Amino acid sequence: MNVFALGWRNLARNRRRTALSLAIVACGTAALVVTAGFVRFSFDGLREAMIHGGLGHLEVAAEEEVERRGVVALDRSPSAALEGWEALRGELERLPHVDAVGANLHLLGLVRRADGAAVSFVGLGVEPDRELRMAFPTKLRSGRGLAATPPAPGDEPVLLAAGLARSLGAAPGDTVTLLMARADGMLNAMDARVTGIYTTGVAELDTRMLKLPLASAARLAETSRVSNLVVALDDTSRTAEVAAAVRRALAARGDALVVTPWSARAPFYEQVRGLYTGIFRFLGTIVALLVVLAASNTLVMTVFERLRELGTLRAIGTTPGQIAALLFAEAGELGLAGGALGALAGWAAVGGINALGLRLPAPPGAVEEIDLELALVPEAFVGAVVLMVAVLLVAAIVPILRATRIAVVDALGHV
Amino acid sequence: MPPPPPVFRARGLDKSYRLGGTTVRALAGVDLEVDAGEALFVAGPSGSGKSTLLHLLGTLDRPDAGALELDGTDVGPLGERERTLLRRHRLGFVFQDFHLVPVLSALENVEVPLWIAGVPRRDRRRRAEAALAAVGLGDRLAHRPDALSGGERQRVAIARALVHEPRAVLADEPTGNLDSATAAAIVELLLALRRERGTTLVVATHDPALLARAPRLLTLRDGRVVADERAPEAW
Repeated sequence: MNVFALGWRNLARNRRRTALSLAIVACGTAALVVTAGFVRFSFDGLREAMIHGGLGHLEVAAEEEVERRGVVALDRSPSAALEGWEALRGELERLPHVDAVGANLHLLGLVRRADGAAVSFVGLGVEPDRELRMAFPTKLRSGRGLAATPPAPGDEPVLLAAGLARSLGAAPGDTVTLLMARADGMLNAMDARVTGIYTTGVAELDTRMLKLPLASAARLAETSRVSNLVVALDDTSRTAEVAAAVRRALAARGDALVVTPWSARAPFYEQVRGLYTGIFRFLGTIVALLVVLAASNTLVMTVFERLRELGTLRAIGTTPGQIAALLFAEAGELGLAGGALGALAGWAAVGGINALGLRLPAPPGAVEEIDLELALVPEAFVGAVVLMVAVLLVAAIVPILRATRIAVVDALGHV
Repeated sequence: MPPPPPVFRARGLDKSYRLGGTTVRALAGVDLEVDAGEALFVAGPSGSGKSTLLHLLGTLDRPDAGALELDGTDVGPLGERERTLLRRHRLGFVFQDFHLVPVLSALENVEVPLWIAGVPRRDRRRRAEAALAAVGLGDRLAHRPDALSGGERQRVAIARALVHEPRAVLADEPTGNLDSATAAAIVELLLALRRERGTTLVVATHDPALLARAPRLLTLRDGRVVADERAPEAW
């Protein structure tokens, strides 16, 4: 006989009430587990969308450019520091966990159809074969993507983002003229054939973005330099580890280049994460309060019905502390059992919801629906069960005070 | 060498209760001494103060006035924890409604006083089995209270009251819920155990058949002692 064994037996005494309490605790636990799964799904989805939307896991850029424009700038000037970038890329691609390294050339200019108005653009010169290896998908709306092989001079393909194409009234097969100022101030122009219309996934960016092969971009800008190198890894959790390896490689070369992880270039991610975490904590507090209120009521009834028994225990020499230990054990066991049941129910709910294949509407600013795939978050399972045990212990405080403060003779006379 | 102090020595015990808008004086200046090994039966009609006297002797309640010594120790100044420990080690209780823990077996119920005192499991099991055997329930160890008759339940309660070898057992209407034959058997048992163990016994009852066998009979009326008689033959 010990307080825990006695606690279980007392819980089994009124099975209907215990079942109700277990259900309340289990529902609270399951709600937390499912919510945590949704939050993790959101975090992971947003993170991977940003990484594979073009940020990559790491950016290697000229130190001077990063200091001048800041780490979060979307476009960077072609840099002399990246003059011999092919050799550097080869070195970086040999590092463990690196899938591929793509070179980007950022362009700013005007684009116009022969018979239409000019619209300003933010252009990105990319290497389509590397983008494929880095799992940077081009979300085509119509037409076809950029070919893996560099185009011949004079046959320049371009992909227009959907909003930009709409502004221009352009469609696949049309020819547009790209104009941009060179570093020396002279204006360069290049005709390009629209091979496809794509979306960046972000409505605002879709009004300005276009993509073209790196070779075409280099001809337009008349440069052999690139703006940055984007490193994609096989595992996001390796980002810090590979960043350190890249820094060592850069230090050995003596290049004036800096490595920036994706998280530093995506303050939006941290803002969303902070917001969602706040919401999750708020929901957790509400759930905990509801469980405290419901469980406290049940525990008060349990103690009230057993006052005479507890009075007898006091009469024969049980201290208030021992009575409290007994009742705390019961409450803790209720929290543990309810939490465990809730964790199981939450696990089943996550699996069930994912099996439904639900799609969520596009988030604010985005243009595509999202496949809902809730995550199983081990720490949420453990945390929710621990929280429920703690919540039940808190809920037991009032009934325990009542049970231990009542005069023994009053408790003995209680019917 | 001075004689040992009585187990209970009460002087001028006074206790009143508020009942609705009125104050009821349950005990009015009771003086009492109970020696070690003595069996005192407290008689009186309902409301005469029997239970109140047992509550005060058992340190379950405090008097409004007067003093109580237990084995020569003045219990008045003791705090709640000290009174609890005093009850745990020196007193045993038997109640009219048995007051057993329903989720525990007979053996486990008897173990409770030893369990709360921190007696090791093997020792308390041995002592609880012996106590149940002493009350004739050696074959009912695993039965829960709801599987026992009223008489058997009270025997379990008596075993629980005696298992830690207290100085005194206080029994408040121990036969109140039993038929007359069982009641007689329970009183026989209490008296026999008292004889064997030398435990002081204080029993409150208004059952005339039991009172007729009282070695010492204290009669209360309106909170006052109106008679304190000893039977000529020692039990």
